[in-house]
Amino acid sequence: MGSIRFDKVDKVFGPKTGGMKVLEGIDLVIGEKEFVAIVGPSGCGKTTCLRMVAGFEAPSAGSVSVNGREITSPGPDRAVVFQQFALFPWKTVRENIDLGLRNKRLPRSERSDRIAGALKLMNLESHAEAFPHQLSGGMQQRVAIARAYVLDPEVLLMDEPFGALDAQTRVVMQEELVRLARRNPRTVLFITHAVEEAVYLADRVAIMTRRPGRIKEVLDVKPVRLAENWDRLARIEDVMDLESFVHLRTQIWRSLREEKGPHGV
Amino acid sequence: MAVLVALWFLLTTLTGTIGGGRFPSPGEFWASLLQISGKGYAGATLLSHAWHSTTLVVMGFLVAIGTGVPLGLWMGWSRRAEALMNPIFLFIRPIPPLAWIPLAILWLGLGDAAKIMVIWFAAFVPSVINAFTGVRTIDRPVLEAAAMLGTPRWRLVQEVILPAALPMIFTGLRLSLQAAWTTLVAAELVGALVGVGFVLNVAQQDIYPGMILVGMVTVGVLGWATTWLLGHAERRALAWNVAAGA
Repeated sequence: MGSIRFDKVDKVFGPKTGGMKVLEGIDLVIGEKEFVAIVGPSGCGKTTCLRMVAGFEAPSAGSVSVNGREITSPGPDRAVVFQQFALFPWKTVRENIDLGLRNKRLPRSERSDRIAGALKLMNLESHAEAFPHQLSGGMQQRVAIARAYVLDPEVLLMDEPFGALDAQTRVVMQEELVRLARRNPRTVLFITHAVEEAVYLADRVAIMTRRPGRIKEVLDVKPVRLAENWDRLARIEDVMDLESFVHLRTQIWRSLREEKGPHGV
Repeated sequence: MAVLVALWFLLTTLTGTIGGGRFPSPGEFWASLLQISGKGYAGATLLSHAWHSTTLVVMGFLVAIGTGVPLGLWMGWSRRAEALMNPIFLFIRPIPPLAWIPLAILWLGLGDAAKIMVIWFAAFVPSVINAFTGVRTIDRPVLEAAAMLGTPRWRLVQEVILPAALPMIFTGLRLSLQAAWTTLVAAELVGALVGVGFVLNVAQQDIYPGMILVGMVTVGVLGWATTWLLGHAERRALAWNVAAGA
């Protein structure tokens, strides 16, 4: 369970002819329990890729499938973590996490066990009865991640989840996500424009071109990470100091730079 | 408030700048208030006039929001409902609620039913518009999150759309309540046998400024009281909302 496949996907916004082509010939397979990050210049259509897996957008040509099933609508087998959290402000933390479980018609005892597990996983135990507006941005995003994880989804879709957080919170969340992903591997599609974040988190990093977005190259990070044993280091800044990390980051950076026009803008 | 009362006393009783017959003095107001509270005026005591008017306003208001809010939600949710209802709505909307009074009286007589109908028409519009806007301005990611979680349709309405639109809905309710009071008093002025508007009408025919003022103040107090109750309900319903909670 849990593989994502993009097969010759085009996406045009607006009218079929004369509309704006944002994606062209996207071919990408994300394997079972693999963590893939897509990086690219802003407006390249990387978020649109994620939205098609989520079922919020349909491809104009080609197909997007999860486990061989073509995607037609959103569903809890593909949990999404949004940049702007998208919590329900009128529900407490517990109720936010509970909604997906109730929709699955799980018995009450199992729901409360799973909520307790998700709260613990994201260090939210003392905030279960709080409303979102009483929490900081970092805490709100923890709730959103807990809401996604608790569903035990086949794939996890994260759309610049740390983009709205301040720098310190962002680092803490990145470290936590790494711990989470190593302990509890999922199929993850992670969208970001932050190169370091992609290299630090992902098994593979897909680099996109400018609009219309195509996949320019895909870098294998996992073999390097395992060979150099990054995971022995708990802190992101220590990993980012490693030569192997710097090398990969620079490689991606150069590749992206070529996409940013003659003056690097 | 105290300054206003002092000024009122100063201008009427003390200096006589505003002569009697045009605007009542505090003394005249007080005498009128005692008269209508005790032995009554225009066929009933102030309490029963006020009670009657309040009942009609509340009933008309409830009918209006009971029909208006669901319609607004529906139009906000379904483009087809909007396309269907909007032309009718745009046509009916410019007709002032008071213009329905003759028709209402013709259909339903001088009784309560005609007044409830007129209040309904007046209070309906703000409920519809604000519920509609409330749905249309829901953050798209919130709806997408609900879809991603597999939320079934009815639960989506109850637990996502309704609460998300609730702040706007309450804005509509407040406007509806105001419209209900304005319209009721006007309807009672035109044709009624009891109620605060009727008191005003009789007092005008009697050229009785003290009583006119009593009627006006009564409307003000009742409107304020019902609005306060609504605000109280809003604060309770929107406890999760930062803006309302602050």
